[in-house]
Amino acid sequence: MLDRICDKQPSLLEAAAAGHETDPAVVDHLAECPACREAVEAVCWMRRMAETTTESHALPNADVIWWKAQLLRRWEAERRAAAPIERMHKAELFAGLASLVGFVVWQWSGLTRTLSSLSPARLVSWSAQTTTGGASGDASSAVLLFGSLFLGAMILAGVHRMLADK
Amino acid sequence: MVEQAATIRNGVVSELEASAPAATLLSEREFQDLYRLHGRALWGYLYRLTNNAADADDLLQDSFCRLLATPLATRDDAQLRAYLFRIASNASIDHWRRAGRADRRAASPPEAAADTADAAALRHDMARTFRELKPQERVLLWLAHVEGTEHREIAQALGVKAASVPVMLFRARRKLAGLLKQKGLDPGER
Repeated sequence: MLDRICDKQPSLLEAAAAGHETDPAVVDHLAECPACREAVEAVCWMRRMAETTTESHALPNADVIWWKAQLLRRWEAERRAAAPIERMHKAELFAGLASLVGFVVWQWSGLTRTLSSLSPARLVSWSAQTTTGGASGDASSAVLLFGSLFLGAMILAGVHRMLADK
Repeated sequence: MVEQAATIRNGVVSELEASAPAATLLSEREFQDLYRLHGRALWGYLYRLTNNAADADDLLQDSFCRLLATPLATRDDAQLRAYLFRIASNASIDHWRRAGRADRRAASPPEAAADTADAAALRHDMARTFRELKPQERVLLWLAHVEGTEHREIAQALGVKAASVPVMLFRARRKLAGLLKQKGLDPGER
């Protein structure tokens, strides 16, 4: 194999790329230097391939490309304009989740007590008390429980919306 | 603007782009002129890289769309042509990565080929031989020996070090010479 690069090779390749491979000086050198001959053959072949015609193929319409590029630019601009809103959605969700966790931690003892004493009869009595406006410890427990559930449902709805958008 | 330019692959972001103070997008007229001048040559390049007319069409559109999305600091024709070929090289490399082994796909010739049987056979032989090179080798050989692109720019287009380009080119040329010899396509055999 021809592992060395001849010093003359860069200038010979330039000559070959310009179509001057039949110049006497080039031909003389190629006769003695197999490494250069190999390289020049490859370059001449590339040039001949580039010269083979592809004129018969109809190019895509320039107007369509222009229109497509404008459309892509508009979409990109819209995407960039909507990016802060997207970030706000995520921030909202994160804030909601953080408040739920904070709320649960803060009211942990009350919530566990309420959950452990939960029964259908008690739910009916809470409902009656809240509609008649009666204030009691039971009613505040009910508000606590339903508040947590409501907050959790809001967060789930937010996550669902985000996933649906994606 | 800077963000928009950055959406182009790193290798293509250059001194022509948004970092220059007077960088502007091409107007429709400038684009039409550029397309008329270089569209055919670029399509020929992409067709020889992909060996598929539909892919070449897609990549041509993609390359011009990328160019139109990039603010440019120059309107110099030679620079724009070199830049366009670099974008196209990147687009075709992205295309091969997406498609995996793109060469498994059937070749589709340009429609309505109106040339002689000899010319068609020659083109077919050439296309088949060129397809046996790796995509990166095809890009290298074309940019270096057909477009005359500088090694520094080839390196940017391919995402390699400029110092590696001569070695890669040397290997690609040898591989091509070997293929030509093997297929009896080198001048010595004819």
